[in-house]
Amino acid sequence: MTYEPRIGPDGRDDDLTRALRQIYAAPTEEGYWSTLAQRVMHRIAGAPEAESWWSPLADWARVGIVAAAVAVLVAGLAFTKSREAEARLAYDTIIETPRSAPLQIATEHGSGSVRDATLRYVISP
Amino acid sequence: MLAARPFHTVVSELQLPGEAQLRARERELVLAAQRGDREAFAGLVRLHERRAYAVARAITATHEDAEDAVQDGFLHAFRALDRFRPEQAFGAWLHRIVANAALDIGRRRKVRDSEALTESVSLPFRDPAEQDELRRRLTDGLALLSQRQRAVIVLHDVEGFTHGEIAGMLGIPEGTARSDLHHARASLRKQLSEFRSHP
Repeated sequence: MTYEPRIGPDGRDDDLTRALRQIYAAPTEEGYWSTLAQRVMHRIAGAPEAESWWSPLADWARVGIVAAAVAVLVAGLAFTKSREAEARLAYDTIIETPRSAPLQIATEHGSGSVRDATLRYVISP
Repeated sequence: MLAARPFHTVVSELQLPGEAQLRARERELVLAAQRGDREAFAGLVRLHERRAYAVARAITATHEDAEDAVQDGFLHAFRALDRFRPEQAFGAWLHRIVANAALDIGRRRKVRDSEALTESVSLPFRDPAEQDELRRRLTDGLALLSQRQRAVIVLHDVEGFTHGEIAGMLGIPEGTARSDLHHARASLRKQLSEFRSHP
């Protein structure tokens, strides 16, 4: 048997198309389609809601905000402590340094009389 | 006035109201589904499941895989519904999603050997008794095609999609779809002509 394929103007082969349609024929029973639709809806009902792309970011953002708040609090406390220490040091320096120096000078020059020593203390800067 | 126009023009105009109504109904369903109405989405499923199955079946090797792809596709579409713009064609948007789901299933099934593929293509789910020689040759020929060539020839010659629609669904240039169709036809025709020449 020799067969000449019948090819249409768009290049379609009738026999080939017919055979392909048989192989790829979709179910024709109405029941099949209503069952498939039910299965689709059942699957949708049972599936967890999809997470939006920003959901994981939102979780991370919450953690980040808490961490940043803690960091700011710790930094604030450290800054306050540091300022207090600086202030105390400055106060101590102002209060104590001028008194000790003349006394030291006075002792260093302790070879003279008490009167001279007192005079040196009074005129010292 | 009506009688003066060619018959096919009149027929297509007479068909328009039905199509317009269908479009309007589809749009209503889409808008309702976007507001969270699941019954409306079920309406969209009933409206599009046959065409979605045809798309999936053209790409997958078996009826069962096509069913899975349809379910996956509708699930993805449901989840992405807020990103769908109602002025778009819902069918084209859905077909692209179903095609992607079918291609995913195909990629997961790639481990199958060609023998298994031949068997799966050759076994129709409804009519396993029908095993004529032409059909056997054709299914053998289909198994020799690439998944994309097989999808293109089925979507074009069996389902009637245009090259542009097929290119959109499969994510390939239109020229590639044309070329795939040409090669698939030539390959299957060769397979059939050998059978036709030597009964």
